[in-house]
Parts: sequence; C-alpha cells; structure tokens
Amino acid sequence: MTVLTAATPTTPTNSLGWMAFLAEKYSASFWQGTWLTLYVAVLGTILGFVMGYIIGIIEDIRTDPEEKGIGRLLVLAAKAVCGVYVELFRGTPMIVQAMIIFYGLRQAGVEIGILAAGVLVTVLNTGAYMSETVRAGINSIDNGQREGALALGMSPMKAMFHVVLPQAFKNIIPEMANMFLTNLKMTSVLNVIGLSELFMTAKTVGANYYKYFESYLIIAVIYFVLCFVFNRLFLLLEKRLEPKKDYVLAVEYMDNQ
Amino acid sequence: MEEKIISIVELGKSFGDHEVLRKIDIEVEKGEVICIVGSSGSGKSTLLRCINRLERQSTGKIYYHGKEIGNAQREINEYRSRVGMVFQSFNLFNNMTVLENCMAGTRKVLHISKEEAFDRAISHLKAVGMAPYINAMPSQLSGGQKQRVAIARALCMNPEVLLFDEPTSALDPEMVGEVLNVMKELARTGLTMIIVTHEMGFARDVSTRTIFMDKGYVVEDDAPERLFTNPKNQRTREFLSRFIAG
Repeated sequence: MTVLTAATPTTPTNSLGWMAFLAEKYSASFWQGTWLTLYVAVLGTILGFVMGYIIGIIEDIRTDPEEKGIGRLLVLAAKAVCGVYVELFRGTPMIVQAMIIFYGLRQAGVEIGILAAGVLVTVLNTGAYMSETVRAGINSIDNGQREGALALGMSPMKAMFHVVLPQAFKNIIPEMANMFLTNLKMTSVLNVIGLSELFMTAKTVGANYYKYFESYLIIAVIYFVLCFVFNRLFLLLEKRLEPKKDYVLAVEYMDNQ
Repeated sequence: MEEKIISIVELGKSFGDHEVLRKIDIEVEKGEVICIVGSSGSGKSTLLRCINRLERQSTGKIYYHGKEIGNAQREINEYRSRVGMVFQSFNLFNNMTVLENCMAGTRKVLHISKEEAFDRAISHLKAVGMAPYINAMPSQLSGGQKQRVAIARALCMNPEVLLFDEPTSALDPEMVGEVLNVMKELARTGLTMIIVTHEMGFARDVSTRTIFMDKGYVVEDDAPERLFTNPKNQRTREFLSRFIAG
C-alpha cells in the first residue's frame, strides 16, 4: 500500500506537519488545481463581463413607443431574450447549472470537454449578474451626459461608448472586482462535473491519507492568497483611474496684454 | 426675402394627457437672436428640446432649410451637428478634459483632423476666455467657467444655429454676467441663436425678437422694444409687470 511506504520514513505528527507534507508531495496537483481555478475564473470572468456589457447596453437602448418600425420590434425581442436569460441564471444555483449544462449538452450529442463546460457555466453565470451591474452603472450616469453627446450629433451608440460607458465603467470597477473574487471561489463547485480545480484536488489529495482537514486547509490558504493579491490589483487599478486632483494651467494661452 | 433656417409648423407636444406645447408656429431667419421668455411650466424648454429633437414632437413638423426633419436617426444626428445646444446644467463630459470636451464633436462626429480640431478648440476657448484651462476636468471648474466651455464646445461644430436652454439659471449671481457677456459677443458676430431665458434685461437688450410663451402657446412674438414696452396681450403685461416691479 502506498500509504504505508510513503508514511514510514517521517510520519508528520501534527496538522502543520501534514500540511507541509501533503503540499510538498502533491505540489504538482496543487499547482495544476491552482492553474485550472485561475484559468476558469479569469477566462470565465472576462468573457462574462463582455457578455454582461453587451446585455446591459442592449437593455439600455431606448425605443420610441410611437415608432412602429421593425427596428423597435427587434430591440424589444432582444430585450425579452436577455431578460429571460438573466432571470433564469440568477434564479438557479451555479452548481445546478453546471450539471444541467454539462450533462444536457452531452445528452444532446455535443461532446463538450470538462474544461470548456466549466468556462461556459462561469461565463453564463457571470454574464447574468454583470448585466444587472452594467445596467445600474449606466443608470447612475446623469442623463445630461448622454444628451450633451446627442446634441453634438453623436449617435446613441457613440454617446454610449465615448461618454456614458467610460464613466459607468469607473463606477462598476468595485463590483467587477467583487464578481471576479466570487468567481475565483465559485469555480470550486465545478468539481461536480469532474473539473480538477483546487477543490477537487484537495478532495483527491485528502483521500490518500484520510487527511481532509489538512488538505482543505492548504487550498484555503491558496484561495486566500489569490483573492488577496487580486483584490490589491483591483484597488491599484481603481486608484489609477481616479481623476487627478490638480491640473496644469496652459500658461501659453494666458492673457498677458 | 431672408432665408428661413428653421421653420416650426403647428408643433404640439403632450406628455400623456398633459399638453405642453400647442400649435407652435415659428420661423427662424439667419442672424436672428430670438429670446423665449415666460413663466416656469410655460413650455419654453420643451420647445427648445423639440427643436433639437431631444424630445419628439407629438404633432406638427420641423423644417431645416425647407427639408423636414424625419425620424431617421442618421438624419437627426446630421441635423443636430448643425444646430448646437447649450444646457442649463452644462452637460460637459465628466470623463474628458476641457480640451477633449471641445474636440469630441469635431473628432467623433465631423471626423476632422486632430490638428484642425485642436486649432478650432483653442480659438473658441480663447474667445470665451477658457484656453488656459484646457487640461482641467469639468469638476474642477466653477459654474460660469463650465458654461463658457460648453458654449465653446458647441461653437467648435461651427453650428448654423445655437440653442440655449436657460444657460444662466444654474449659476451663482456673480457668474451670470460672464456667461451673458460671451453670449452678447456671439450675438454681435451674427450667429443665429434661440435662447430660453429668465434674464429679461438680456432679452430686451440683445434679442432681435422676443417670444412670450404661456401654457404651451406662443402668446406674443415681436421685436423686444415693442414686446417689453407695449405688450399687446394681457398675460404678457402681467408677466412683465412682475419683473419690472421686482
């Protein structure tokens, strides 16, 4: 038995010792788990943000009730589809979504890989939450900003991308950071479809020596360090986007007559 | 015959059951400075917003050089790039510096070169005395400074008509003067302007034509010297007497 042979030379005597032992012995597994967790969280969050922005912008398109054209119908249809999607994905747990999407797709004959399914679930989940955040962010910008842009002759989309969205984006950053940190931890539920991210790794490693407490404590530390580092990065980004407190007077244009 | 830039024909606007504008007919000729006065809720601002199509009229038509402004977004964008607007609340873009504000329209809408957009911005900012502040963000400026930048921003588009929606109503009393002076200067250059204002002295001195509105109607539309000294309508008289008494 591997258990006996591995444990004979130096059997750890306390939890800390076991943690060090497991971390060293299974470092490759933990690295792999960390990598997969990060991969799914980063890719899923970024694509989810893109999806959230697209839906948030679609939901903000204003249609004139007096207009009877096909354009308005298309917009209303798109809004309805987005509404149903957001409602469904915010109304069900991610762990259930993972099972339904993974096994559902397989049953339908789509040979989706575990990793791809994991990313897909994360994207769909993030997109649903993000769209609400983006919508709220857009709403928080005074309508005068939009009108100022329209009055210059900008199209509603130009007004959105040059004026409204850059301001909304700044307001949304803390929520985006939140969402990413949540995702980093939520990837753990993807162990149910067999993705060997951190949680799955801890489960497997712990089973080898029946040292579950120590094994999960290791990934708790890893999760914490990841979250801590990313949180600091987001704060840095937020700080960088803060407007400068003072400005340089363009003295060359001062009136000195 | 003078050329009509904008013709408003039987314009009406309702918000639900509430009729805000009723059968408005106004023709705007080149070089006119039209002040629209009237008490709050008389529909002045809504009229101005309809002229710029920020509000869509319920009935009636607006013509620009004889061509009706339809509902196609492209047409409206094109029209708006020729008819500028200055707002009560300035609406400077908070994510851009003063210079970027003044280059946004020329760069993103008119697509002129960076150099030309810069030159235009500087020359108009100079004219309103705001050129030294090109690097400032709107939040770092006073109300009067913001409004002067907003006027420069609108002028950068070389508009044929400039609409002002109560440009001094959000300003501290001591800042009203600096903005009105800029507008007086503009009137002198022959720019066509439509100004919704509560500044009666300004309307009397600067406008070539004054319109008094009440309850959504154009009650009186006359030369300022006649409208202010010898109004024909009872409502106009009542309205003006409050200003003279005050």
